[in-house]
Amino acid sequence: MRIRFTLNGRRVEVDAPPHITLLELLRNYLRTTGVKRGCETGECGACTILMDGKPVNSCLILAPMAEGAEIVTVEGLAEDGRLHPIQEAFIEENALQCGYCTPGFLITAKALLDRVPEPSVELIKDALTGNICRCGAYRMIISAVLRASEKMRTTSASQG
Amino acid sequence: MSSSLIEVQREEFSILDSWLKAREFIVVGKSVRRVDSLEKVLGRARYVEDYLVEGMTYARIVKSSVPHGLIESISPGEASSHPDFIDLITAEDVPGQNQVGYYISDQPALAEGKVRFHGEPVALVVARKPESAELLRSMVEVRVKPLPAVFDPLEAMKDQVIIHEEVGSNVVIKTHIGKGDAEKALEESDYVVENEYRMGYQDHAYIEPEGVLAIPKDGEYTVIAPAQYPHLAQLISARVLGVPQSKVRVIQPMIGGAFGGKDDMGPILAAQAVVAAHKTGKPVLLTYSREDSFTSHCKRDPAIIYYKSGASKEGRLTAVQVRIIFDAGAYANRGPFTLWRATAHASGPYEVPNVDSRGFLVYTNKVYQGSFRGFGNPQVQFAAERQMDELAEKLGIDPLEFRLMNILKPGSRTCTNQLLDHSVGIGEALRRVAEASGWREKRRRYGRIENGKARGIGVACAWHGISTSRGVPDWCNAYINVAKDGSVSVYTGIVEFGQGSHTGILQIVSEALGIPVEKINLIGGTSDAPDTGATHGSRGLSFGGTAALIAATKIRKAVQRVAARSFGCSPDDVELRDGWVYCRRDPEKRMRWEEAVKACYLQGEEMSATGYFFMPKERFDEKKGQGQAYVVFSYMAIITEVEVDVETGLTRVLKVWPALCAGRIINPELAKGQVDGAILQGLGYMLLEEIKVEDGRILNPAFTDYLVPTIMDLPEIMDPIYVEDYFKYGPMGAKGLAEMALIPMAPAIGNAIKHAVGVSPREVPYPAEKLYMDLRRVRGG
Amino acid sequence: MSMLEYRRFSSLEDALRFLSERPDAKIVAGGTDLVVQMRMGKLKPSTVADIRGIMELRGIRESDEGLEIGALTTIEEIRESSLVERLAPPLWEAAQEFATWQIRNMGTIGGNLCNASPAADTAPPLMVLGARVRTARLGGGRTIPIEEFFRGPGETILEKGELLTHVHIPRPGDSEGHAFQRLGRRVAHILSIVSAAAAVGVEDGRIGWVRVALGSVAPTPVRARTVERELTGKTPSRDLIKSASEKVLNDIKPISDVRASAEYRRAMSVVLVRRVLEKALRRAGA
Repeated sequence: MRIRFTLNGRRVEVDAPPHITLLELLRNYLRTTGVKRGCETGECGACTILMDGKPVNSCLILAPMAEGAEIVTVEGLAEDGRLHPIQEAFIEENALQCGYCTPGFLITAKALLDRVPEPSVELIKDALTGNICRCGAYRMIISAVLRASEKMRTTSASQG
Repeated sequence: MSSSLIEVQREEFSILDSWLKAREFIVVGKSVRRVDSLEKVLGRARYVEDYLVEGMTYARIVKSSVPHGLIESISPGEASSHPDFIDLITAEDVPGQNQVGYYISDQPALAEGKVRFHGEPVALVVARKPESAELLRSMVEVRVKPLPAVFDPLEAMKDQVIIHEEVGSNVVIKTHIGKGDAEKALEESDYVVENEYRMGYQDHAYIEPEGVLAIPKDGEYTVIAPAQYPHLAQLISARVLGVPQSKVRVIQPMIGGAFGGKDDMGPILAAQAVVAAHKTGKPVLLTYSREDSFTSHCKRDPAIIYYKSGASKEGRLTAVQVRIIFDAGAYANRGPFTLWRATAHASGPYEVPNVDSRGFLVYTNKVYQGSFRGFGNPQVQFAAERQMDELAEKLGIDPLEFRLMNILKPGSRTCTNQLLDHSVGIGEALRRVAEASGWREKRRRYGRIENGKARGIGVACAWHGISTSRGVPDWCNAYINVAKDGSVSVYTGIVEFGQGSHTGILQIVSEALGIPVEKINLIGGTSDAPDTGATHGSRGLSFGGTAALIAATKIRKAVQRVAARSFGCSPDDVELRDGWVYCRRDPEKRMRWEEAVKACYLQGEEMSATGYFFMPKERFDEKKGQGQAYVVFSYMAIITEVEVDVETGLTRVLKVWPALCAGRIINPELAKGQVDGAILQGLGYMLLEEIKVEDGRILNPAFTDYLVPTIMDLPEIMDPIYVEDYFKYGPMGAKGLAEMALIPMAPAIGNAIKHAVGVSPREVPYPAEKLYMDLRRVRGG
Repeated sequence: MSMLEYRRFSSLEDALRFLSERPDAKIVAGGTDLVVQMRMGKLKPSTVADIRGIMELRGIRESDEGLEIGALTTIEEIRESSLVERLAPPLWEAAQEFATWQIRNMGTIGGNLCNASPAADTAPPLMVLGARVRTARLGGGRTIPIEEFFRGPGETILEKGELLTHVHIPRPGDSEGHAFQRLGRRVAHILSIVSAAAAVGVEDGRIGWVRVALGSVAPTPVRARTVERELTGKTPSRDLIKSASEKVLNDIKPISDVRASAEYRRAMSVVLVRRVLEKALRRAGA
């Protein structure tokens, strides 16, 4: 089945069987391997991507459901070789250990900051509930989201 | 310690000693950022499933759906007519020995003749497409004639059903340590507390499920394996293939969490994958689904612990008598060592004059146990630390005071009668954590039910021997090569799986050579590096760092010699710092690091070095159960504050105060990450994580019902208090730390629950329902 | 899995026609349950009908009678809706605690109801709100009270070729109060072991009418009619609520499973019913 959508700003067309998940499509057919396979039941959030701006579990989506959608994965966060502030903040706050859950966290955190530029700690926790970090870097992840929020506001203020 | 070892390693001892005495550090002790984070935030870090090789195929395990039985036949069934089917691999296809047992040779790579647990891999199906492997394995036909099975370790000890005929009994191994006369001392004690504790499984639940990629080429094999000991994965792969170890090359990919589990599963999956690669002649990516990971990968050992301890009315511990039964599951795997560790840590970090601790490792028809952060110790520390609170209560002494009255200190003797001559900071840790948490005041104020909720505060300590036990030979090594342009390559067998060991090792080399971390390339976790032992037992940075420090210091000395000649000063006066080599007495005399390296090349100084170090160990008398159990111990004290909803039994951990005695902290920020992570896994172990088994089958093999802590479960964790009790053989005095905070976490929560609502948890996990039922019993109704 | 036929629909009529011809087709709304069941091999559909493009099944509207929610409305849309917060407070509360952001972005209210899980958290609130569901099929649909919608675990009254299209919630009166609470084994991102909702109308200081409903304690979400009878017409007091809540044991038939024992579920049902009643009464100004 032919499936067409936008992946990280690029139009893609791919032939794939309709029963596979969007996670499998992205990883195995499009080599977008920043999207991680964790549980395949929508519990861990490692496969989180943005679909039309919203964070979703790509393991719970059949590939054809992506038709016409705008998909953003971790690979699409940095622009023109410049890290997204949330990526910088994760590095600066040591907000990762094994790094396997990191792409999912970055995507969900970006979606949050796009909606709420100045999130409270409570709101950050609420938004990130569906991303599990078994290494337990949650405390640093919260700091990183706060730091990214600050960076994004400083940048937009200096540009505005 | 043998005198010949002292002689042979004279240089190494003097190197370690000189760094131990150093006062000022440039890189060590600083929160250098992890070196792998850029790749990770870009999504470019390559985990095993992210590798792509020409002609790759995809394998899944076919599992037993019977807990104990005789294999009658295995056939591909309908799978063979599917266009994506390549092959079915069974025990018959193993060219070498079908054996992956860690210590006891009881475990096949693929079941042979018999299956011994529900979920045991009996075959591999190899498919052309990743999405087909799952379908194909459901078509494979496995016929097994069921045998009577045994699931309860106490039942299994009766040997009515024998799981391993070749062993002859379900009791695989017995352990013992002790001193004095515990029986008599308990009779004479003023106060005695006796309880039974039951500990459940814990699953590592690393977010990356197991996987290994095996690539065959001209009789040699490259294995991309998330393993914790590349040389072990190499050895076991070679064994199943029947080829020399040197024909197998193991490379570590980025690893999505390990926590001990991939110490076992790395080699086991490597063995399975290489057999498939051998038979098909194609690269094989073997992956486990999340369900496979739950049903078929090793877990923290379930345990039954009988614990009796006594104290005098003055508040001194008199004796402990402990019986530990570890449920090994179907294979011995790490059980002999987790059990030994539990047995040898049974007293807790206290001075106890009379000790009798015995362990029994018992086969059952269930998934096998394995290595997991804490390695047998969390189970027994739970019992020990709950006992301490119960004894203190009987004595009418504050439980923290009671601990301080008995705590180990330099000069103490442990439960195996080992003399602790240095590096024992636990007493200070306990005092400081008490002060930071407002212990006394909260201990008075909490423990009352208000609006259906009650708060409590609890303390627990832990001690943990670093690296391997007893006389088990223990070494570390590293190889450093300085290129002509001054850039440095460090080869270490230590594996990075998120803990930050590689960053720490780089800091150590950077410190020794006086050049920035960016100039050093670390190649780790590969069998190309010298055998460094495993990255387990919290030894990655402490022992791996020791080797790197020795190797780097040998290079440093060569540079000092050459520079001294050029400067006309003593080599001891040559300092290496910030990329400069200069004379300390006359800093005008200096050259760039690169020039110095060039000079070394010209003047016959070797610019490569190994850092082999054989850990000096003293004798352990197995018969008496006495002697040196471990070269050194790290220590931990934790205080937790909880709130219990008495109507539902739900417990929330509100605050945690950790204090760690792990010698020199090489990187405080990364150390904090390890403490936080271990605290959350300990919290999960106590309150959330439960594997439910019925007739040997795991009922909840998914994150839907195996609950790990989410960000909403995060308590307020204070920055760790570091008591830097230096260790003489560690790099700059560092000991291990990654396991530490998990170990006392469960009893610290348990003791806080007791303080809050008066019920005394004797089980792990202790989720809401259990607490509620216990509370109802205690309060009547 | 053999080749799946995947069909997309943007018109309700086309979808209904297709479903009447292919009654075994599985419907994709959010996909969050379907994909998991396919992966676990519990479902092996040969045809899937993707109805996500049918715009008339989306969105939340205020009508004269109250609230109309399209079956394809996501749980996140409900969570973010001030209309739902104002006109269907317990449903809004249930959406706050529902799964995770990722799942709420895909999962729909129609999907949550049609899967008919005894643990569906949107059901008890809709029951106490007196909601009705509208269905469509070729040749006409029907409108039925939500309580009559469920038949058993995974089973609804929907017939082959019939789609749930909308949920209608009557406008609450002035002296009404509502509440929803759930209990899971973890604070968030967890299936409920008991959930409870209550709605109460206070008249002259008395409980004029009351509805209580629970999830996860019977084969379907259930009304606690015994509790309701015990309370109706009486002056609320702490003791009354306590004794009435204990009556919930007559209304539920919980099972023991991997999440909780029946005994614990029974005890927790009493606690949760009491809590939602207290809260609802407080909100009703009693």
